[in-house]
Amino acid sequence: MSLQLAACLLALFTLAGIGAPIGYAIIVAATVYLGAGGMDLALAGEKIIQGLYGSFVLLAVPLFIVAANIMNAGTISDRLLRFCVAVVGRFRGGLGHVNVVASLIFSGMSGSAVADAAGIGKIIIGMMTRDGRYSRGYAAAITAASATIGPIIPPSIPMVLYALVSNTSIGALFLAGIVPGLVMGGVLMAMNAIISTRRGFAMEDAVPLRELPRITGNAFPALLMPLILLYGIYGGVTTPTEAAAVAAFYALVLAAVFYRALSLRSLYDILVDSARSSAAVGLVIGGALILNFIVISENIPAMMSDALTGLEVHPLVFLLGVNVLVLLLGCVLDATTIILVIVPLFIPTCTALGIDLVHFGVLVVVNAMIGLITPPYGVLLFVINAVTGIPLKEIIGEIWGFLAVLIAALAFLILVPGAVLWLPRLFGYPG
Amino acid sequence: MTRLVGWLARGADGIAAALLAAMFVTFLLQIFSRYVLQSPFGWTLELCLILWVWIVFFGCAFVVRDRDHVTFDILYVAAPRRVQRVLALIAAAAIVATMAAALWPTWDYIDFLKIRRTSTVENPLTGDKIRLRTVFSIYAVFMVAVIVRYGWRIISVVRHGPPRDRHEDVQSP
Repeated sequence: MSLQLAACLLALFTLAGIGAPIGYAIIVAATVYLGAGGMDLALAGEKIIQGLYGSFVLLAVPLFIVAANIMNAGTISDRLLRFCVAVVGRFRGGLGHVNVVASLIFSGMSGSAVADAAGIGKIIIGMMTRDGRYSRGYAAAITAASATIGPIIPPSIPMVLYALVSNTSIGALFLAGIVPGLVMGGVLMAMNAIISTRRGFAMEDAVPLRELPRITGNAFPALLMPLILLYGIYGGVTTPTEAAAVAAFYALVLAAVFYRALSLRSLYDILVDSARSSAAVGLVIGGALILNFIVISENIPAMMSDALTGLEVHPLVFLLGVNVLVLLLGCVLDATTIILVIVPLFIPTCTALGIDLVHFGVLVVVNAMIGLITPPYGVLLFVINAVTGIPLKEIIGEIWGFLAVLIAALAFLILVPGAVLWLPRLFGYPG
Repeated sequence: MTRLVGWLARGADGIAAALLAAMFVTFLLQIFSRYVLQSPFGWTLELCLILWVWIVFFGCAFVVRDRDHVTFDILYVAAPRRVQRVLALIAAAAIVATMAAALWPTWDYIDFLKIRRTSTVENPLTGDKIRLRTVFSIYAVFMVAVIVRYGWRIISVVRHGPPRDRHEDVQSP
């Protein structure tokens, strides 16, 4: 490791550790790196501006935040959540289950875990903590854990990134994500049931089954949204980013015209709030882009691939090893960096060992999403902290159980490739 | 003075909201032009990217409050008041020093971009393509605003002590 990289990491961990905003800590560390190496200090700014200016997919983030805030203010989320409450709220720890099921539905609308957590997650945390029924930390932790499902069930921005670096079919990857997403939802609900029984969390009043059709009808226009989005994307009508704008527009029409629950004043407040969240999140994304630049200019990828060639290992051992590594890296790196920088190193080895690249892709995306909730550097933890103000300490204290079952689900997906590849094969994927 | 600051802050909120609304409308125009008019406008994508850069940096400069930032505050919150004071000063001083050091080279780079222009977006008044210097100048504004905000924070911490946690805002200039 070069001296300048050491200085950079020292500055980054010190500043972030003592409570400076992460985005600023990264900019300071990058400037230290450039200064120590005698490089032009402007490079940090150049990378952050050009990175944000050049990434069209990132535009989905503010738009999904707007969509989610409109759905919240315009009672759309309420209706969707009431539907979820009617279906799973009757069980012990009901709102925890509602949280996971709502994430499953919402993950069919958005491709970004961050947008899920900042949008619907914020609302459910509000519901869960309202009468002090759940601790703030528990509400935030299960929200962070269930938001990891967002990019597993299509649409999914991380899978698009993986498809880019691995040259695999986006369609096959998307289909391959559906079963793993459901598995993750299942284990989270099981964990929630266990913890809720032990701690005696509240059940919601059971909604009589005969009322179910009415509640479903009430939520129906909102439930239609994932279908519209999926048709837009799979029908080739819109790009995934445009689909985010369509979602916001549909939410606006539903809230303002159909449900008549949105005033001009509240629309203005939604825009200010969304702009504020988008700017705070955008700064961190920009920071990740500079770190990416530093990792590449230190030539770390090439050194790692050199170290790997020549090793003869069993495919399963290789898969387990890579996943442990990605899991550890996920504690300190961001998912986009892992997928764009770390993962490409292993793709040639995968091909040589006969590991299916769609299977591998789903594994690393699931793994990188788990990395979003692993302390100390877990973007989802930060985002929930930023949008709700719940202290990180309380969130991290409650995250371990959910982390454990998600890792168990990942292990299952590693050992049983059929669970991932069954659906794409059904639709003619030859792998 | 306080009233002026409040008035400016509300103005900044309004601008950020307008930028975001413009981005949203531009996206809808993009879809509308492609499917209804059957002839895509072409400039919509670049305009959205410009607006996105402005939302992030204008927002971080003037609209995002300290408590809105993504932070890792476990150690800070647990520290005793005396230590918090030192930590807050170190963080603010490091941010001010590096931003100030990078300000001139960064402006030099942004100024250099006057030779490049947007490829599709035009100034509606003159019909000219916009210089990238104009587009990216918001990053220099952002740097100056961060230097001023954290410089003010140093003064405020010295005078009144550190914020207990991020939810107690230091009064912004």
